[in-house]
Amino acid sequence: MSDILGRRRGRTAATTSRRLRVGSLPISTALAIAVLALMALCAVFDGLAHEPGRINALESLQGPSGDHYLGTDQLGRDIFARIIAGARTSLLGPTLLALGVAVIGAVVAMLAGYFGGRIDAVVSRVVDVLYSIPALMVAIILVGVTGGGFAMTVVILTVFNLPLAVRNLRAAVMERAHLPYMEAARTLGMPTWRILLTHLLPVIAPFVMATFFLQFTYGVVELSSLSFLGLGVPPGAPDWGRMVADNRASMFGNAWATAAPAIAIVALAVSTNLIGEWINDRYEKAGKAR
Amino acid sequence: MSAATVAPARDRRTSWAPGLVRYVVGRLLAALLVLVAVSVLVFLFVHIAPGGPEDAIAAPTATEAQRDQIRDDLGLDRPLVQQYLSYAGSLAQLDFGHSYQRRTSTIDPIVDAAAITLPLLFCAWALAMVLGIVLGVVTASRPGSALDRFVLGSTTIGASAPAFAVGTLLAWLFGIQLGWLPVLGAGDGGLDRVKHLVLPVLTASVIALASCTRFTRVRVGEILEEDQLTFAQARGLGRRWILRNIILRNAGVQLVTLSGGLLINLIAGLVIVEQVFNLRGIGSLMVESINDQDIPMVQSITLFVAVFVVLVNLAADLFCFALDPRLRAGLGGDR
Repeated sequence: MSDILGRRRGRTAATTSRRLRVGSLPISTALAIAVLALMALCAVFDGLAHEPGRINALESLQGPSGDHYLGTDQLGRDIFARIIAGARTSLLGPTLLALGVAVIGAVVAMLAGYFGGRIDAVVSRVVDVLYSIPALMVAIILVGVTGGGFAMTVVILTVFNLPLAVRNLRAAVMERAHLPYMEAARTLGMPTWRILLTHLLPVIAPFVMATFFLQFTYGVVELSSLSFLGLGVPPGAPDWGRMVADNRASMFGNAWATAAPAIAIVALAVSTNLIGEWINDRYEKAGKAR
Repeated sequence: MSAATVAPARDRRTSWAPGLVRYVVGRLLAALLVLVAVSVLVFLFVHIAPGGPEDAIAAPTATEAQRDQIRDDLGLDRPLVQQYLSYAGSLAQLDFGHSYQRRTSTIDPIVDAAAITLPLLFCAWALAMVLGIVLGVVTASRPGSALDRFVLGSTTIGASAPAFAVGTLLAWLFGIQLGWLPVLGAGDGGLDRVKHLVLPVLTASVIALASCTRFTRVRVGEILEEDQLTFAQARGLGRRWILRNIILRNAGVQLVTLSGGLLINLIAGLVIVEQVFNLRGIGSLMVESINDQDIPMVQSITLFVAVFVVLVNLAADLFCFALDPRLRAGLGGDR
């Protein structure tokens, strides 16, 4: 399509990905869901052939083989088994974080966007201040100083990741809070909580879902970065970020020991990012101001 | 006020309206308030650290008398408010305390480390902004092309790949497999230093580059749909003129805001990058001090980072006003 000036119009990112499809999904989204499902399965069933914590000095730093699919690390632990065992911590943290941000963000955004006025002013102010603070930096400092554990790390990151979610969701609420059917519900005397739950929540639900997945991506990046620094996850626990840090020194021996967990982290983060973007694109661009 | 309405538009653009002065003063006060809040939090580090400072400074075998001595030296037995006031007092005199581990002022190691971190920071930032804007404009002007789809796909991967994964991969590929570039340390100055900083700069800029490209792509895409662009084309104005006067001028404010945010996030990213490439910058100093529980060191670094963050935010906001006359007019008070 082109207009009279020869400029092509009407083809945006949303329409261009309609090339390869699996059912109604673009191929990238379908792949992303498959990767996520596989990792979730690993997180739930993690008892496999080799114990992830078993140390065997005689088999240290082996390359990939039929016995050890991805080889072993410096202590002779099986990399493949540790990747699968690591899925649990690597998925749990981001899941909790994204859930927290999406739920709290949705509630705050609904209250601020629907009621407006003073609530909105206060929320916007707090969001503006928190927004300019780098979440990862705060987490590194606070977790580092207090020696806080996994739970505290997730809580800190949840708080400092909230502003972006509130900002985007609030914009989505504001666009819809004063549509005619909402006015109608108010005129009919419907209680406010029912308007919020039955009229507002369903229309912003897709954006809350998109927020969940995008925040999951941030969660993966931030939590794995912290565990790479040795913060958050207890030593010895099979965690992908920690595996990259631990095995980097022996990269000449078995490069897969470092590469495999790094690839797992990137694959997880990219997958959830793709799913989030797909939902966002589908339900129009509420996150335009991102 | 009346002068502003009578004066031609050109004049209003450069004049400093009273609303603007009020805004700038308010903004400065807010920045100061944030820094005071940060200093309270930073002060509390001493008390929320496990074991407290006496554990960090004393050997595990220290007697109770020695510990008392340390507490006394640091004034830990006084009320919290008094302790804070004396801490704030010394901060006001630019005395940032002494490192437990190094037995020197905390300033010297920070200055040494900044000599490595700041060039890294600004190179990565400049690279991400320049390349991001170019890629964003190019892809937005060819929506749906193979290049557009390739770049958009890459930004998704770039934005979700943690710096340590990217850095480890680049170090392995260019440092070990190809042997083109050194991967550890900061080199011995001159060309050697430049060589050592290539991979860290690339690594640090990946996420910022992805954000900048994507943001520019979306924003420029919007501007390209606007009537003013069609009008400019109808007037037969050249592509360069349109790029400079319509696209970049309209996107300018948002890009400046974005660049401030990216610069701030890069500081956190550099903590990771410096670990990956064994650079002795601010980030490494911080991680090292955390591991040693060297609280004064962590306090000083946090304060410096906070000042930097506040200054960047302030500069970005003020620069927006310098760039966009509409923002200034909004504060002018003559409407």
